[in-house]
Amino acid sequence: MKLVQEHRSLLYKVCRIYCFTEADRQDLFQEMVIQLWRSYPTFRGESKFSTWLYRIALNTAISDLRRQNRRPSTTSTDDIPPPPSLPDMTWPGEEQEQLQQLYTAINKLSDVEKALVMLYLEDKSYEEMEEIMGINQNNLRVKMNRIREKLRKMTKEATYGIR
Amino acid sequence: MELDSLKYAWRTLEAPPASDRSPDEIHALLQRRSGGIVTRMRRNLTGELILIAATYTPAILFYFLDFEGKLSGIAWLFILLLVVLAVYFYRKNQLLRAMQCTGCSLYSNLTQQINTLKKYIKFYVWTGTLMIPVMFILSWLIIRQKFPATPGADLFYELSGTPWWQHPLVWAVFLIPVTVGIYFANQWYVHRLYGRHIRKLQDLLREMDEE
Repeated sequence: MKLVQEHRSLLYKVCRIYCFTEADRQDLFQEMVIQLWRSYPTFRGESKFSTWLYRIALNTAISDLRRQNRRPSTTSTDDIPPPPSLPDMTWPGEEQEQLQQLYTAINKLSDVEKALVMLYLEDKSYEEMEEIMGINQNNLRVKMNRIREKLRKMTKEATYGIR
Repeated sequence: MELDSLKYAWRTLEAPPASDRSPDEIHALLQRRSGGIVTRMRRNLTGELILIAATYTPAILFYFLDFEGKLSGIAWLFILLLVVLAVYFYRKNQLLRAMQCTGCSLYSNLTQQINTLKKYIKFYVWTGTLMIPVMFILSWLIIRQKFPATPGADLFYELSGTPWWQHPLVWAVFLIPVTVGIYFANQWYVHRLYGRHIRKLQDLLREMDEE
């Protein structure tokens, strides 16, 4: 319980990234808490607690089929509605617009790409990302470069209408 | 937009107050039913088990107690089927328990889910297919033993001295297309239930493998 309280911010972020509606976020949050509760006895401390927590959160979010039925496909970046506004989140003023843009762009990424962006923003090393995702570091670097380029392009499109 | 420049802002994002949870609320969350796919599948399995037990028990008692116990063979057949079904449910439950490893890496968990789900589907299709002909054959054996046909009865066409309805060939001709039909019906049904989920998981794995 204490651990969930301590890391709730991380869980909320996963919910925000993977869910489009408040109801889905609540469902996913509940599911992640249940999975953490059930899996905790199996945590043997072989990896960092945060690594284990990310694994549980991301595995739960990505394996959840119900949300997949309620959200647009990520194969096309067209016709994707903007994410819900985030008035209840607070961050340093000057980055607000950029973060809003980031959320909009993240919503257009695939589930795997979303996980990678999140881990990157959380300042996880490639080694930790490998432990969480199970993808080798070289492949992770290639993917991250591709995602960075993709996000840059998306922001340009959104800002200047360039395609 | 440069991801690196957003790292600080991202990490200082605060949890939304509206959704902030007190320990009591988190405790309450744990009391609710899980909505995860594997948990729902296990719940459905328990429901199926209860339904089967509730249906078979009166039938077993009926055949034991009625007809002066002359049809107790059918009751034993039902008991045998219950044992087979118990093994069936046990195996299915085992597969469902092994389906998720949320504490593993994303790649391992997805691989495990796909492999176990495939095994589960295969098991579902084959047991569902074989159960029907096996039940038919056992019922036929019992009925034949309990009610031997009167030789030369008008209603039955004699074939090699055996009434047509007792002839294994007739049953084979009837059962083979039925079994094949059931196999394809089961295939269609499980793919309708889980096909989309498997495809989605396979797409994710493929994406993770791509360089």
